[in-house]
This record gives sequence, structure tokens and C-alpha cells, in this order.
Amino acid sequence: MTVMEVVRLTEVLLAAAVAQQSLEHLFAGHGRGLFGLRLVLCGCLAFGVGGAFAVWGLWGASLVMLWRFQGPYNGGSDKMTVLILSCLSLAHLAPSPYWAEMAVSYLAVQLVLSYFVSGWIKIINPEWQSGRALCDVFRFSAYPVSEGLRAWADQRAVLFAMSWAVMLLEVLFPLALLHPDALKLALVCTAAFHLSNAVCFGLNRFFWIWLCAYPSLIWFQDRIFGGPT
Amino acid sequence: MLRLISLLLPALIPSWRFFKTVAPSPRVEYRVYCSGQAGDWQEVDPRPMRVTIAQGLQRLVWNPHWNEQLFMVSCSERLIEVPTPHSFEMIARRVAAQLPDHVCELQFRLVFVSRVQEQIVKSVEYESAWVSLREWRA
Repeated sequence: MTVMEVVRLTEVLLAAAVAQQSLEHLFAGHGRGLFGLRLVLCGCLAFGVGGAFAVWGLWGASLVMLWRFQGPYNGGSDKMTVLILSCLSLAHLAPSPYWAEMAVSYLAVQLVLSYFVSGWIKIINPEWQSGRALCDVFRFSAYPVSEGLRAWADQRAVLFAMSWAVMLLEVLFPLALLHPDALKLALVCTAAFHLSNAVCFGLNRFFWIWLCAYPSLIWFQDRIFGGPT
Repeated sequence: MLRLISLLLPALIPSWRFFKTVAPSPRVEYRVYCSGQAGDWQEVDPRPMRVTIAQGLQRLVWNPHWNEQLFMVSCSERLIEVPTPHSFEMIARRVAAQLPDHVCELQFRLVFVSRVQEQIVKSVEYESAWVSLREWRA
């Protein structure tokens, strides 16, 4: 894939993810003007109408959202949305393919960091090492989607194993860059991790928006570690 | 402009420190003023007892209510860390939207749930003044 093919694939995925977010905002009554416009821009982006202006328009709408909600509305998923839009915007502004590659590479590196840093800060924490932290997530955090799910907090052995599975997946994720097949396997595992977070903790937007960044990493792996073309 | 940059920078250079620690978790409770007396405190959006796998998968594509609740969690944390009228208003409007039209005043409070050794403890960290709903609904 060329860098601009990756940009285009990311745009199509992003159009779907941002449209999903915008429909939820419209339903919640957060402003028809802003989120209606966002929805129209998603349509333009998906069908290639308006070229880079659709990306820049969505980036501008993200700034308005940051102001409106005085920060991200949906935590990390909004941050990833802005990050992807920023990298795509810069790729379109780039004066040469080299700088477009830099913009997409930055997104790929941030995707790797999103797993590695998240895993590292857990693995050095004794509460995560013992599985206690994940018990607390189930027992009293705001995330479990039902009271019934809180009963998982008593499954100490299961949560201990799950804690280590997540921490090792996240910390070892950068090693997957060494081989394309390892990367694809790692991305399937991380997608499954996001899916479980969506089902258990209702973090549906994280699932879709993180998938949008995957093509950039597949391209990056091939660009940096792939053989000569 | 500086404020906008300060909001944008964490998205451009994210810290990615998800669940570094499991911090005390806020719950929003409210009560209304009716017939000359204050009612009992009630939790906003209590969770259901069960969510089926099918419902969980359906929420993968459509989950506006839950995402609104997560935003209330963010606003609650912000109201404690750096109190602003914005966080207050977001929470008050969200609670007000769920109340019937005849309710004139509401009060909300933030109850933080945490673990102290083996005990789950709750503490009220914030209690709002009474809010007249006439101006919110105008």
C-alpha cells in the first residue's frame, strides 16, 4: 500500500466511526448544527467528495467539540479521533509524500504507545500485579454495565489471569512489529480486547476508533521492517 | 486561544495512561423539592441488574445513553478537581432532563465510592445548592 492509499482507507473507516459518534450525539440532543454538519462531512469523506476539505472540516468540528464539552466527551476515544484527524489533515497538507509518511507514521507510533504505555503503567503497579486493580474495576468503578457484572470482582483467580493477559498483550505489543504475521495476530488480539471492553464496560467508541488506526500501523510495519520493494 | 490549545494538546500528545490506578468512582445522586419539602436522595441512572450478550453487542453500534453517563463521570471528576460552572451545568442539565415538568427545584451531590483495605466506602464530596429548574427549562 502507498501512504495515500493508507490515508484513504483510514478516511473511510473514520467516516463510519465518526458518523456513529455523531448519530449518538444527535440522539442525546447535543446540537443539531454541529453534529448534523459532522454527519454530512462523514458522508463526504466516505464517498470522496470534497477531498481534503472533509478531513479539515471534521478536524475543525473536533475543536468545536473540545470547546463545547471543555475537554473530550468520551475520554480516550475522542482523543484518538482528534489524533487520527490531525494526522490525516497533516498528510493532506504535506508538501511531499515524505511528509505525508511522517504524519501517518506518527499515528502508527502513537497507536503502539497507546498499548505499550498503558501496559507499562499497569505492570509496574503492585495492585495490577496482584490482580487487585481489575477486581476494583469490577467492584466499584463506574464502568461495569450491570450490577450483575460486579459479581466478577469475586473471581480473584480469573481476574488475576485476565490482568496479566492484558498487561502482557499491551507491553509486548511493540514486538509484533518485527513480523507482519505477528502484527496481524496482535491486532486481532487487541481488537478482541477492545470488543470485550465494549461489551463489559460499554466502551463502544473505543472499539471503532482504535480499528481506524490499524491500517496506519500495518503500513508502518511494512515501511520500516518490510523487505525492499 | 490558550485554553483551546490546552484542550487540544492532550489529544495530539496523549499520555495513554488508562487505568493507572482505580480511583474513587463518582455516582451522581439527586433530590427534588416538592410540596414544601425535600425528597429522598436517588441515584441518577442506576445500572440494570443484567445486560445480555445480545444487548452488549447491540450497544457496540448504539450506546448514546451509556456514553452520556460516562460523560457525567468525567464532569463529576472535573467538578471535584477543578470546579467550573460548565461541569456543574452539564450535570444539572442532565439530571433536570430526566425529571417531570412539575418539579421546580433540584439538588445533586457527588458520592465517591472507593476501597479502603477490604471495605467499600462511600463519601459525599460535593453537594450543590438548590437549583431552580425554571431557568434551565426556559
